[in-house]
Amino acid sequence: MSSSLSHPPAHLPPAVALQLSQQAPVTLRSTPSVISSYSFTTLWSAAETPELWTEYENLMLSCLRTGDEQSAGVCLERLTERFGAENERLMALRGLFQEAIAKDDATLKQVLEEYETILTKDPSNMPVSKRRIALLKTLGKTTEAITALNEFVDSSPTDAEAWAELADLYVTQGMYPQAIFALEEVLLITPYAWNIHARLGEVLFMAGSSGDTSTDKYLAEALRRFCRSIELCDDYLRGYYGLKLTTNKLLTSLPQASRQSKSDSGLPIPDIKTVERLNETATAKLSEIVRRSVSGESGWEGYENAEVIAAKALLDSGAAKSIR
Amino acid sequence: MAQIPVQTIHRDPQLFYWILIPITVVMILTGILRHYATVLMATTPKKQELPAIREQRSLLRGINLRTNANAISPVSFQARKDYLVNAYEKGDFLKEPDKKGQAAPNPMTDPAAMEGMMGMMKGNMAMMIPQTLIMGWINAFFSGFVMIKLPFPLTIKFKSMLQAGVATRDMDPQWMSSISWYVLCIFGLQSVFNYLLGSDNAASQMAQQMGQMGPGAGAQMFGPGVDPDKQFQAEAENLSVLAQEYTLVGVEERLLETVRV
Repeated sequence: MSSSLSHPPAHLPPAVALQLSQQAPVTLRSTPSVISSYSFTTLWSAAETPELWTEYENLMLSCLRTGDEQSAGVCLERLTERFGAENERLMALRGLFQEAIAKDDATLKQVLEEYETILTKDPSNMPVSKRRIALLKTLGKTTEAITALNEFVDSSPTDAEAWAELADLYVTQGMYPQAIFALEEVLLITPYAWNIHARLGEVLFMAGSSGDTSTDKYLAEALRRFCRSIELCDDYLRGYYGLKLTTNKLLTSLPQASRQSKSDSGLPIPDIKTVERLNETATAKLSEIVRRSVSGESGWEGYENAEVIAAKALLDSGAAKSIR
Repeated sequence: MAQIPVQTIHRDPQLFYWILIPITVVMILTGILRHYATVLMATTPKKQELPAIREQRSLLRGINLRTNANAISPVSFQARKDYLVNAYEKGDFLKEPDKKGQAAPNPMTDPAAMEGMMGMMKGNMAMMIPQTLIMGWINAFFSGFVMIKLPFPLTIKFKSMLQAGVATRDMDPQWMSSISWYVLCIFGLQSVFNYLLGSDNAASQMAQQMGQMGPGAGAQMFGPGVDPDKQFQAEAENLSVLAQEYTLVGVEERLLETVRV
């Protein structure tokens, strides 16, 4: 099987996922379907590797993503043959498969009930309880999903994925302080994840733009988070984008801001000169990234198209304003 | 100077076919048998209950907070610290909150610990029994034979190792007895098993001996006989004396200094 199958398929671009799933029938035919661990032939045939089963799982996810339910079913069957139907991870995978082939909400509700029966039998089944939360989210029951996630992180507080999901759910509900708390929890688990720093900056920025109290404090914190994310990852487009937005906002609000808010807890708001310089740096860096990425220079290809276009739009709007 | 005469022993060539090869083949087959016996006897690790998972991960959360405290603002850190220290001291995360303050259970009587020991026993048995049997078998049938001559000279110290079961004082240490061949097989068949059964096979004795010497560090942390309440108290202490330094202080100046446009 190809190497892209050994990574979780969530990060694959759609084209690659499509290609994988189109080749799925061929791949499935060429790989051994059953590897029995006790037969004598294993002495001569290739040894069973854990990678094979990871690849099956990833292939199944890719197939589900592109709608090839038949191949996904074959993958699931083989996995079940090998690991048994009682395997926790397989229970979650089977649930995922059923969710994917469900035609309407009623079928989805049935799947949800199945999850709940599994969980009453064995509340420590982490993969299934995660699937249940995801299904609640799919069904639009956001508040229930939040409650379930809160229970989940109470019993498993070192799960970064769960905390990040909780933060996203809180953001959709506009509960920014809670979302910030959840993201900080993620940072405590993975302190050098620059994308989480940038994400926290974004949430702080949203909190600063929406609320009427302590706006500047949030914005200052957001500014520093973006700075940190750039510090951790050079030329990080998302970080610079956020930095530019935040400094723009701070530059409009700082002159009339009174100095009273800085006395309480937290870091002081950086002075206006620093903010200006940061804004200039961000603008210059963004335009450099856009220019080099558009012209396709070597070493600058990794940016996502949509992000580059958004950065370009931001730069253009800023330029239009300054001309006026 | 008198030349030491080269010893020659006339051996029946049948010895080679009926002792050397059978011992080797039997050793390989027992290794394979032991591998599959171990695989069959292995019990799946017992699943942990939700409260136990919660207890462990809550402790890990405190450790995470302590090691990565610098990533979050002092206000957030203070809030988490107060919450965790308070909860740790009250024993909120304990698997059995009402048992707080009691001494840790004796690992000998704890059923969870017994299971682990049974697993170890089984592994040991799978190694000991075939070894004893084959040793006895060889002793009964093949002891006292000199089988091969090693193609290189050896000092006298090797006599006891290579000529076990053959009590002849003047024989050159190059000559090897059948029991010594067996002992050599035990340690020398490692790579054969690796080839036949894969590298993580249960036939290799070396791996088993290593495993007995040092069980993983993770097992010790939450292993039987460790009082979780004591761990929580220690972690609460660690947390409450921690001095935090916020990484974001002055990050904008650092950035402005490093980034060149």
